[in-house]
Amino acid sequence: MLEISNLTKSYGRHLALKDVSFHLEEGEIFGLLGPNGAGKSTLIRIVNQILDQNSGHIKFKGDLFRREHLKNIGYLPEERGLYREMTVENHGIFLGRLRGMNATESRKALDYWLERFDILSWKKKRIEELSKGMAQKIQFIFTVLHEPKLIILDEPFSGFDPLNVELIKAEIQSMKAQGRTIMLSTHNMYSVEEICDRALLLNQGTKILEGRVTELRDEHKTGQYTVRFEGNMIGFVNALWSGFEIMETREFGNNRFEADLAMRGDSSIDNLMSVLIGHVKVEAIFEKLPGMQEVFIQAIQAAQNAEVA
Amino acid sequence: MRNSWIIALREWSERIGSRTFILFSILGPITVLTVLYMLFAYGGKTATRWNVLITDPTNLMEGKIMAQKDSMIHYSFADDYIEVEEFANAKRYQNYDAMVEVNEKVLSNKTGFVFYRQLPSKVLEKKVQYQVERRLEEVLVKQFTSLSLLDFKKIKQPLNLSFRNVYDPHDESQDKRAWVGLFFGLVIFIFIALFAMSLLRSTSREKSNRIVEVLLGSVRPMQLMFGKILGIGMAALFQFSIWLVTITIGLLVMRTTLFPDYLQSNLNQSVQIDSQVRATNDIELAFTSFEYNEFVDLVFDRVQFTPMVLAFILCLIGGYLFYSSLFSAVGASVGSESDGQQFVIPLILLLCFGVYAGYFAMENPEAPLTTWLYYLPFTAPSVVMVKLSQGFLPGQAYSLILVGLILLISSLLMLWISGRIYKNGILKFGHRLKLGHFFKWTKNN
Repeated sequence: MLEISNLTKSYGRHLALKDVSFHLEEGEIFGLLGPNGAGKSTLIRIVNQILDQNSGHIKFKGDLFRREHLKNIGYLPEERGLYREMTVENHGIFLGRLRGMNATESRKALDYWLERFDILSWKKKRIEELSKGMAQKIQFIFTVLHEPKLIILDEPFSGFDPLNVELIKAEIQSMKAQGRTIMLSTHNMYSVEEICDRALLLNQGTKILEGRVTELRDEHKTGQYTVRFEGNMIGFVNALWSGFEIMETREFGNNRFEADLAMRGDSSIDNLMSVLIGHVKVEAIFEKLPGMQEVFIQAIQAAQNAEVA
Repeated sequence: MRNSWIIALREWSERIGSRTFILFSILGPITVLTVLYMLFAYGGKTATRWNVLITDPTNLMEGKIMAQKDSMIHYSFADDYIEVEEFANAKRYQNYDAMVEVNEKVLSNKTGFVFYRQLPSKVLEKKVQYQVERRLEEVLVKQFTSLSLLDFKKIKQPLNLSFRNVYDPHDESQDKRAWVGLFFGLVIFIFIALFAMSLLRSTSREKSNRIVEVLLGSVRPMQLMFGKILGIGMAALFQFSIWLVTITIGLLVMRTTLFPDYLQSNLNQSVQIDSQVRATNDIELAFTSFEYNEFVDLVFDRVQFTPMVLAFILCLIGGYLFYSSLFSAVGASVGSESDGQQFVIPLILLLCFGVYAGYFAMENPEAPLTTWLYYLPFTAPSVVMVKLSQGFLPGQAYSLILVGLILLISSLLMLWISGRIYKNGILKFGHRLKLGHFFKWTKNN
């Protein structure tokens, strides 16, 4: 769907993007991750033709990216902005027309989305009459109004309450089910784990990780296991022999606990099961996978260490 | 172009729907008409009424002077000689402001004297001269010819001799019409200042509330800038049209209702004169209206409104394009909304200089600097209006085309430069704007 090759962009002496290449597949949710100043916004702006790259190229469905392709993109920037004095309806029609729709099509699409979000009564309201969260929701609608094939969302969940975060997530997944591609730039790693198929991590303008989210987590797993049990913590500790090391414990009340264990030597999950039976009532044992947050931190630290070295 | 048009329509509808626009559209022309009315009604008049005593011992004038009473002068007649000292000091003559001597010598010498207590205005002077002269003319016609007064009026055609300085044969420096040109120039710069400032504010607001990033996802920076300039310019032109129509209607209403004497005087030639009295009245009215008020004369007769309005629209468009692209570039370059103030002041000063250039051109029409200011796009809108109001010689019309071309080309050039600054500056935030940024962003791609 979108192929980015050797993209480089500098602002004066500052190199914002350094030879970045990746691709987006049709119908996937792609996470664009990175600390502040990593070059995510620059990358997104280049894709949206707001900025010109110094070198490299972008292809959309096999063709070199041109301005006409922008009609196929829906872009929600991180810094939200709307004309405060315009009504929701007029604003929607205005943006719809800028993206190639006519007024009737824009109005029809707006009605569809307002009804879908159960906010049809906002149609005649001026933007300044809406709360921040309401305006965010309207802006999301404006982004997808023209049914773009590629949707670029920069921090789409910021400013939303948990209910609306779930609502937007559901919409993103629904659009994915329709075969649309979504590029998501966010610091909310939990969302990335939850909805992204693949992710790319940028640091100081350089790509440091790219892959399927599950694979990235697998690659960064530490071999720890989590045991959830009911019983006595002293009994649990006594049952473990030198082949296991307790890393962290959590108490849930009513003699229910969770412990993260690291295996030593040749210890296996079978060994663990056998030593625990009879001492505590084991509810679950599973391999502890790092969250994207940990993957993110580990990768950034590794990159920084490599740079120092 | 389609996207620029969509942006322009949004700007247009935002402005014409705003209260400020509606208020300015209504109050603006009303204020201009009120000022014009005050000038028409009081501008050329002396505040006091003049009480004139005519000494006519031979009863030449038969105690008559005007068929109609004059609102500014009241005449009384005395049938004996009055010494100047007596008139000056006697208590019974203290109510009279002036004394006119009419005797047999006046007819033979064609010279008379008017003794005043306080120097009258030129209008009063001319009125007294005209009214006494006309009455004596009637007396002479009656005495020495067999013509009726009506026939005499038909034969007698006034000839206006305009006195011109040989070094200023077009009377440009003294021409009151130049003030009208300057007024037009001033209006152009007021419109430019108002709407270009509105453009600057709107651009910096779009930048600070970040809607610009959403827009730039669909339109090029140049298209956005041009759309905004076009939309706000359309609103300015629309407002100007409202002003033009309202002021024109107001002037017509004034001409036909509040100042009908002037209209009558203009129609003199077509009016069927059916009596001597009527003829006399009309001539008097023609005179009184001619001298009634220099502003009435200036506005209703001497200004060539059609070419002036056409030139006004062209200068407004050219000047607006030129200045608005500058203001737009500043709006796009600011780091915060308040940041632009330091660069707005020089732009406002530039606009003030534009107005001053018009005044300079009026005062020094032949100065070499005026020629430069005429062609300079910063000052052309006001100087062109002044020069146009003063009138061109047939061979000078080319200069109007030339200045139009210069204004158009420099406006396009300014649009291009500002477009580059706009493109490079619109997504830069949080910096403190320096002059160097403009040069840097003009060069950068």
